[in-house]
Amino acid sequence: MAASETPARPRRTDPTKFFFIMPAVIWVLLFTIFPLLYALYTSFFSFRFGRINQFVGFGNYLRLFTDANLHNGLRVTLTFVIVTVTVQMLLGFALALLLNREMRGKSVLRAIMVLPLFATPVAVGYLSITLFYEINGPINELLRALGGAGIPWLSNPFWALVAVIIIDIWQWTPFVFLVSLAALQGLPADLYEAAEVDGASAWQSFRSITLPLMTPILWLILLLRLVEAFKVFDIPTSLTLGGPGRATEVYSLFTYRTALRFFDHGYAAAQGFLLLFIVSLIVALLFGRIRSIYQEERS
Amino acid sequence: MRKVFFPLIPILVIAAMVLTACPAPAPTTAPAPTTGEAEGETYATVVEAGELVPPVVAQPCEGDACFCRDKTVTVIVNTAGEKGPISGPFYEVRDEFEKATGAKLEIVEVPFAEHFPKLLTDLTTGTGQYDTSIAGAWWLGDLVGGDYILPLDDYYNDTTGKYPKWDVEDVQPGPRDLLFYDEKLYMVANDHDGQVMYYRRDLIEDPEHQAAFKAQYGYDLKVPDTIQEFRDVAEYFNGKDLNGDGTPDNGLTMHLKVGGQGMFHFMSFSAPFVIGPDNPKLYWFDPETMQPLMDSPGHQAAMEALVDLIQFGPEAMMGWSLGESWDHFLRGQAALTFTWGDLGALAQQEGSQVKGKTGAAPMPGTTQYYDITSGQWKQVEGVNKVGNTTGGSWAGVISKFSDAPDCTYFLLALMAHPEKSKVYAYRGWDGVDPGRFSHYLPPAGTNTIDGYVAAGWDPGDAESYTFAYYENFGSELMFPYLRIPGTFEYWTALDIHLSEAATGQKTAAEALKATVDDFNAITDRLGRDLQREIYVKSLGLE
Repeated sequence: MAASETPARPRRTDPTKFFFIMPAVIWVLLFTIFPLLYALYTSFFSFRFGRINQFVGFGNYLRLFTDANLHNGLRVTLTFVIVTVTVQMLLGFALALLLNREMRGKSVLRAIMVLPLFATPVAVGYLSITLFYEINGPINELLRALGGAGIPWLSNPFWALVAVIIIDIWQWTPFVFLVSLAALQGLPADLYEAAEVDGASAWQSFRSITLPLMTPILWLILLLRLVEAFKVFDIPTSLTLGGPGRATEVYSLFTYRTALRFFDHGYAAAQGFLLLFIVSLIVALLFGRIRSIYQEERS
Repeated sequence: MRKVFFPLIPILVIAAMVLTACPAPAPTTAPAPTTGEAEGETYATVVEAGELVPPVVAQPCEGDACFCRDKTVTVIVNTAGEKGPISGPFYEVRDEFEKATGAKLEIVEVPFAEHFPKLLTDLTTGTGQYDTSIAGAWWLGDLVGGDYILPLDDYYNDTTGKYPKWDVEDVQPGPRDLLFYDEKLYMVANDHDGQVMYYRRDLIEDPEHQAAFKAQYGYDLKVPDTIQEFRDVAEYFNGKDLNGDGTPDNGLTMHLKVGGQGMFHFMSFSAPFVIGPDNPKLYWFDPETMQPLMDSPGHQAAMEALVDLIQFGPEAMMGWSLGESWDHFLRGQAALTFTWGDLGALAQQEGSQVKGKTGAAPMPGTTQYYDITSGQWKQVEGVNKVGNTTGGSWAGVISKFSDAPDCTYFLLALMAHPEKSKVYAYRGWDGVDPGRFSHYLPPAGTNTIDGYVAAGWDPGDAESYTFAYYENFGSELMFPYLRIPGTFEYWTALDIHLSEAATGQKTAAEALKATVDDFNAITDRLGRDLQREIYVKSLGLE
C-alpha cells in the first residue's frame, strides 16, 4: 500500500527528455557538424567551373605552406590583431576606470561610449571611405585646419592599414569598456573602504585590489577580442578591398576571395581549417590561463 | 567615491560622432558597378539622371499571342537601383515586356561581388532560379566552359516575327566578337565597353596654353596621339587651375584602387606596347605552353610608363574606384583621363562642369612595340594604335536551366532594339555605352546629331565622342580580350600587382614577375592543357 502512495519517479529512460533535447541536437548537427564535415570533405578536392574536379589528397593543405599570398594575409592579420587588441584592451579598461566613479552626465557618457558597438561594421567601413577621403574628407580637412598635412589614408600601404586599425579600435574599444565597467561595478566596495582606512593610495588600491580582482575578466575579454579580431573581414573589405596591393588583405578576405571570387572551394576550406586551428589554439591557451587563475583563487 | 567631471572625454566622443555623421563633399559610396569589375563600386555622383526615356517598341499582346502567360522571367543584375547603371533599363522596360508577352518580370539585384557567385551556384546546382544574367563578357570562359548557358543562334535567326529584331551586324566588330564564343551567339548586345582617352577640349584649344606649351615642349599643343604626348600634356596641365576655382588641379586622373578596375587601365594603356602589325594576338599567354607573357619587355615598358604618369594625378587616386576618378574629371579637376563611354555621356548631364568642353579620342599609341613572336622591338610607320574592348560589356545570357528561355530571349531582344539602344547610349546613368553603327554619326554611322542634341548633348562633345568610339572599336588592331576559365582570378592578380607598382611597393619588373608567378599558379591549378586548349580557341588560333 505504502509503495502505491509514493509518487512514481521518472524513469531514466523516459523518452520525453529526448523530445526536448532533439531540437538542439538537430541544430548542432545541421549547422555545425554537417558544414564542418562537408568542408573537411571539400578540402581534399580541386574545383573547376565551380564544381568538384578531382581528388587532391592533402594537396590543398600543402599549399598552405607555400602560398606567399596567404602568408601575407597571415602577417597582415597578425599585425592587425596585435595592435588593435592591445590598444582596445588598454583604452577600454582605462575608460572604464575613469567612468567608474560619480560624475555629472555619467549615464549619458556611457551611452555615447557604447554607440559604436551598435554600428554594422560593413556600414562603418563604407562610411569611412568618406571620412578618410584624402582630398577633402573631414579627417584630412581637420588635420589641415590644425596646420598639419593631409595623410594618404587609403592610397598608401602603411596608412591604409592604420586606417583599418583605427576604425576597428573605434568600434570595439566600447566592448572592452562596457564589460570592464560592469565588472568594476561588481567589485566589493568594503575592500576599498578598508584600504582607504589603512591609508592606501589610489595607485596601491588599483594595483592590490582592482587589478587582481579584474584579472580573470580581463583575460576573458582578451580571449573574446582575439577570436573576433582574427576573423576581421568587413572593415578592410569595405574600406580598402585589401589594397593598396595586398597591404590590408587580411586572412578572411583572402579566404573569401579564394572561395567566392575564384571558386577554389577546396583550398578555401583548407584555409578555414588553418584559421580554426589558430583560433582554437588561442582559446585553449587562454582558457587554460583563466582556469588556473580561478583555481589559484579557490585554493 | 570622488566626484569627477572629466570634460575632455565627452568632447572627444561627441567630436568623433559628429565627424562620423557629417557629410563630406567627397563622393558617396554605393555598390553599383557599371563597367567591368568592381567590389564596393562607386559611381559618379556630381551629375544627375535626366528624364530621357526610350520609346515603347513592343505592342501589347492579346489572347494566344501572349505566349508567356503565367510564366516568370527572373533576371539577376548588379545592384544599382531603378536609376542605376545596367539595372535601371530593366525597370523601365518591365511594363512593356509584361504587356507584350503576358510574362512577369522579376528583377533580382545583387551586389557585384555576389553576382557571379550566386549565378554560378544556381547553375552548378541546376536550380534554375535565374533565367538570365546581365553578365560580364569575361564570364563566358566559365559559363560556356561549364556548359551552363544556351547558345542563342536559333532565337536570333527566328523568322516568325515572334521576337523583337536587333541586328548583330549593327554592332561594331570589336564588341560583336564578345557576343560569340566558339562561333556561337551567347550574348544579346547591350553594353559595349572599351576605353578611350578623354581630354578637355577647351584647354587644348586655348591660345594661351598653346603658346605656353609650345614654348615648353617645342611642338604644338594638340590632342595626344602617342603615349609620350599624353605624358607631356598631363605634365603641362598638372598643377594649373583647370576649372577656375582658384586651386591647382591635375594633369590626369585614373582609378587604381585594388578592386577598382585599375587592371583595365593597364590593359588599354599597354596594348600598343605589345600588340602590333606582326603580333596582333599574343598578349596574355604563349599559346603553346600557356606560359604567361606578362613580363615581356613590352609589358614592362608599359608598366613603367603608367607608373611614371601617376605623378601627374592626385595621390588619392591610388585609393579610387572609377566613380571617384570620373567625379574628378566631371568637376573639371583633371585635363586627361582614359576610361569607358559612361564618362562622355555623364559629362552631358546636369551637374557636370565639363559639358561642351569634353573631347574624346582613341587611346594614344606608340612608335614601337615589342613583338613577342620575334622577341624584338619593332618600329612602326606613324603611330601604333590598338583598339580595345576592355571592361564588362554587360549583356544578357540565358541559363540552360531556364524554364522560359523564349520569353527571356524576348526580353533581351526587346532591350537590344535599336531605338531603345540609341537612348541607352545617349544617357550616362544607365551604364550602357555605345558600340553600334546606329549609335554613330555619319559617315561612320546612321544616327543624327539631332538625336544627341535632343538628349542634352553638346554637339561638339557628341561628334568627338562617337567618332572616338567608332575608331576604337573599328581599329585594325584590337587588344585581345581574355575569356578563359579563371579570367577574373588572372585579372585580380594583375590588379593587385599593378597597385603594388603604383604605390611603390614593387618595381614594375617585380610587379610583373609576381603577376607571372600568380598566373602560372592559377593555370596549373585549373589544368594547363585544358586552359591552353580554351585559350587557343578563344583567340581563333586553331
